Amino acid sequence: MIWIVTGIWLVTGALAVWVHRRQGKAGLRRSGGFAVSQGRALALRLPLAMLAASFLAQALPIEHIASVIGPQSGLIGIVLAAGLGGFMPGGPMTSFPIALIVYEGGAGTPQIVALLAGWSIFAMHRVLAYEAPIMGWAFVALRMSACAVLPVLAGLFAQAALAVSEGLQIGPAIF
Amino acid sequence: MKVSKSDCVFGAIAAASGLLCFWLGGVGAVRAALGHAGGLLILVLPQLAAGLLIGGLVQELVDREKVSRLLGTQSGLVGLSLATAAGMVTPGGPFTSFPLVYALWIAGADAGALIAYVAAWALIGLNRLIVWELPFMGADFTVLRFVVCLPLPLIAGLIARWLVQVTPLKLREVPGE
Repeated sequence: MIWIVTGIWLVTGALAVWVHRRQGKAGLRRSGGFAVSQGRALALRLPLAMLAASFLAQALPIEHIASVIGPQSGLIGIVLAAGLGGFMPGGPMTSFPIALIVYEGGAGTPQIVALLAGWSIFAMHRVLAYEAPIMGWAFVALRMSACAVLPVLAGLFAQAALAVSEGLQIGPAIF
Repeated sequence: MKVSKSDCVFGAIAAASGLLCFWLGGVGAVRAALGHAGGLLILVLPQLAAGLLIGGLVQELVDREKVSRLLGTQSGLVGLSLATAAGMVTPGGPFTSFPLVYALWIAGADAGALIAYVAAWALIGLNRLIVWELPFMGADFTVLRFVVCLPLPLIAGLIARWLVQVTPLKLREVPGE
């Protein structure tokens, strides 16, 4: 965690040096102004959104879905898993543990591929907390429509890949 | 501080989900959620601050004409591939990527490129793949998911360009012009 933050700030510092070289202090001042005005717009929204995401993470029943999206559930299971993925709350630190619990609980591999793809693409907490406040709802609507079929495609491609490469056994990693 | 309409929407969503949480899980669940949200905020703030600064700095560095030539409406499949590659290597969470998307939008990237970028970052971002998916899901699963998701950002970009042409779905005008 610490090294990610350090890395991001190193990148920020390097970019700042670059901007300073090319545009001088005025460029840095404009960059800072942009960051402050965006930050001010997020100041109230972001904590509220995180609160909402955390409430939802507590309220939704997550362990019971594995049986519905088993390896034999086929296209219907893939579509269901893709939809469920969109409602999986939280960032990777909560979603991957949840996906693993569902996988170990007996869900099929293509269905878990669809679940994770659905979570990556629709993740409503991310839409609420970052995408809508920064990009606006028109962008969200267009992106959601353009991406709607992707998680199902991912699941179908995975199913096809598994069918073609017979003997390829992929299951939950055992620790 | 000015409270905007959008802030009220977020307040209402937080209140409704809080009530749902209390109804289903009682005081304990509400307390756990509050602790989680607080921790998350502390964790995210330093990264978000950096992300916003990166967004501002990138705007100073990129040449508008170049961006609209490389990622604009006329950029074709090459533009979508470039956007996909950029999304794949962008590190960090949504707090760093969306300020960057915003900066590219202002600089002249079109809806297809922006959406290919977001889809690539979300689906096949290498940072998350290495930090999260590999340890949790194992190498076999991670490779399978990466390979089947590789062509999807291009498809999303093409669908987005098509939607902009044939439906009322559009990006609003570039803000701050």
